[in-house]
Amino acid sequence: MSCSVRLEGVTLDYFIYSVKAQSLRNAVFNLAVGGNLYKSQGDVTVVRALENISLDLQEGDRLALVGHNGSGKTSLLKVIAGIYEPQKGLVEIQGKLTSMIAHGAGLDADASGLHNIRKLGAMRLIPKKVVESRIDSIVEFSELGDFVRLPVKTYSSGMMARLMFACATEFEADIIVLDEWLGAGDAAFGRKAAARMEGFVDKAQMVILGTHNFGLVERVCNKVIELAAGRAVFYGTTADWVAWRNR
Amino acid sequence: MEAIQAAFRDIIDGILLAPLWLTLGWEQTVSRFRRTVLGPFWLTANLLAMAFALSFIMGGLLGNGNWRSNFSLIISGILCWSITGGYLPDASNTFISAGDLMNTMRLPLSFHVFLMLYKNFINFLAQLIALWVLLVLFKMAVIPDISILLGLPIVLINAAFISMIVAMPATRFRDIYQSITFGSQILFFLTPVFWSPDQMTGRRSIILKMNPFAHLLELIRQPVLGHVPSLIHWEWGIGLMFVLGAIAVTMLTLYRKRIVFWL
Repeated sequence: MSCSVRLEGVTLDYFIYSVKAQSLRNAVFNLAVGGNLYKSQGDVTVVRALENISLDLQEGDRLALVGHNGSGKTSLLKVIAGIYEPQKGLVEIQGKLTSMIAHGAGLDADASGLHNIRKLGAMRLIPKKVVESRIDSIVEFSELGDFVRLPVKTYSSGMMARLMFACATEFEADIIVLDEWLGAGDAAFGRKAAARMEGFVDKAQMVILGTHNFGLVERVCNKVIELAAGRAVFYGTTADWVAWRNR
Repeated sequence: MEAIQAAFRDIIDGILLAPLWLTLGWEQTVSRFRRTVLGPFWLTANLLAMAFALSFIMGGLLGNGNWRSNFSLIISGILCWSITGGYLPDASNTFISAGDLMNTMRLPLSFHVFLMLYKNFINFLAQLIALWVLLVLFKMAVIPDISILLGLPIVLINAAFISMIVAMPATRFRDIYQSITFGSQILFFLTPVFWSPDQMTGRRSIILKMNPFAHLLELIRQPVLGHVPSLIHWEWGIGLMFVLGAIAVTMLTLYRKRIVFWL
């Protein structure tokens, strides 16, 4: 199946209601570092998280999103994943999309790893039989061994990242959206994950990866978009990006 | 125009995701009682304690001193209230408690409403079975009327619209959750849940006639007790469905995109 991602002139504003509200603290922390606080009236603060972003990705593309904290990486990933709908611009996604954006999200902490694999499969609407047939390879890839029988709350963050990554990549999807949490795994797992992502080219799958790990970008990705304060300061191939950085 | 289409699309997508919310709802219900001794029977115990206490008090207040006379009315009233008005605090909290999921995965807003309601419906069914067992034991059992098969869907569709209507502003203004929790308690007293409609006379009977929750309640309580609900309740139930549906779709059209930012 063919897949493509096309963004045209995407502009995303966050409306923050009562900055003091505890529930919004996270959102503010995520944005205040780099987003533009451009309008403030009374109780409502508007933060421009993304401004006029355009992208065009085809089968087999692996795009890296780089930039400082708060430059808009996660916001852009969320727009691509369909979680946020931008106020302006066009988003066209073709193909089945899997997103792994928040760390450990969707996991049931009290249930075992095995149970969570089944749950993540169900969340992606994958038939039970298919999930069952993939469990062995997920356990093997994540190297969790007997820990899969223990509740997820006993896992370290690296172990959780392994489990999530294994599930995200084992169940078939055309487009995989990953945020930087991959860094929680150790070096050996990082290499393994990178190798797996390189393999996606053959399957014509698309990966969109938010990361600070430039080594990973050069090894895995063929396209890069660099964000600063919600604007794309660079968009092109990885080779051009390396040259652009060293200019 | 596009926004209206997207609002309808949201509801349809939510319905199409039924296999997912059916699975998740069941799983979350099971995990809620993990490591408890009584498990789901906690709900039954809750229902029983409430019904016995109210029957005892009401028997005294009405002066006939016999708890049995009102028991089946009261216990079925409390049970049916759980899906006609008892779910309201849950409903206003729908998006807030689904916030984690909404921030990680693209799902229609109606999905979260259906999931919340389905969990309430599982509780209702579990207690309904307990209720029948109990009524058989007390030799008060009646065969439920077939009209429940029509009454229940009407009540549930109304509940879905009401949930959507309260959940959206409650996400934006956090005071709404508090006021709904308190308001649903007041509604519990204003609706003939543990008192009989014919006990209310004079000017006060307006709270019966104009209370939509009273009509919705009768649409399921009467069949559970073996009666056919009177025509006025059907009229209210079906009328409400259209009015609330229109409000829900309008609100969805206006605020659908914004809700995730209100979390």
